[in-house]
Amino acid sequence: MKPFRARGDEVVASFDRAEAGVLGLLLDQLEQLLDDDDPGGDPVLARLLPEGHRGDPRLAADYRDMTESALRGGKADDLATVRATLPAHGGRVRLDREQAGGWLRTTNDLRLALGVRLDITEDTEPPEDLAGEESHQLAVYYWLTAVQGSLVDALVAGRPGRA
Amino acid sequence: MAGPLAPERTPDVTVDEEADLDRPWVTVVWNDPVNLMTYVTFVLQELFGYDEPTATTLMLQVHHEGRAVVSSGPRERMEHDTSRLHAYGLWASYQKDA
Repeated sequence: MKPFRARGDEVVASFDRAEAGVLGLLLDQLEQLLDDDDPGGDPVLARLLPEGHRGDPRLAADYRDMTESALRGGKADDLATVRATLPAHGGRVRLDREQAGGWLRTTNDLRLALGVRLDITEDTEPPEDLAGEESHQLAVYYWLTAVQGSLVDALVAGRPGRA
Repeated sequence: MAGPLAPERTPDVTVDEEADLDRPWVTVVWNDPVNLMTYVTFVLQELFGYDEPTATTLMLQVHHEGRAVVSSGPRERMEHDTSRLHAYGLWASYQKDA
């Protein structure tokens, strides 16, 4: 990967073939997860579609009725943006600020999902080797962290009005 | 009480809200081990128009104290702010100001 950097009004990065493949699979998994209708049934889904009010079930239910469908729709749109701008076999990714917003939110959702599955805490460290499925997934988590971190930095550097 | 950095907004007064005017609602962002500090700061700037020092201070408050009030005002507005934060994956909720 060549991390995201600001280039005029856009941000650019490149992904090799294997990275594009991994990201594509993660997008498929996220899409399947979001097809589930019951946010309480899976801790990952509960994190992606959180409670709006803590402590008052009636307010929490009202909030969910009011917002969940738009939240799911936004996630589906963002996911479609990432799919449409990621070359399936790797290569250059070039995003305007709106598309970059979709990438930010989707990579964040993927990190949140892996974070719940892998029980990430503030003390979690990157894996020392890639032996075993969990180390592998942890490496993917840290790779996504690098992707998203570079995207945030590029968007801050490319903010309008900032030289 | 809302934090000193919470923005002041003119309440949209409706009849059933009048009783709540002296005790506004707030939107709270909770700490989370996944969201990047730079990302949280960026989102607070994008959504609320905070300058970088203000957004950074709020982010650090979330990180060190476990939560920060990021906006205050009428309930409908706080529901809306919470939903905008949820769209970015921040762990947020709204509540009556304590």
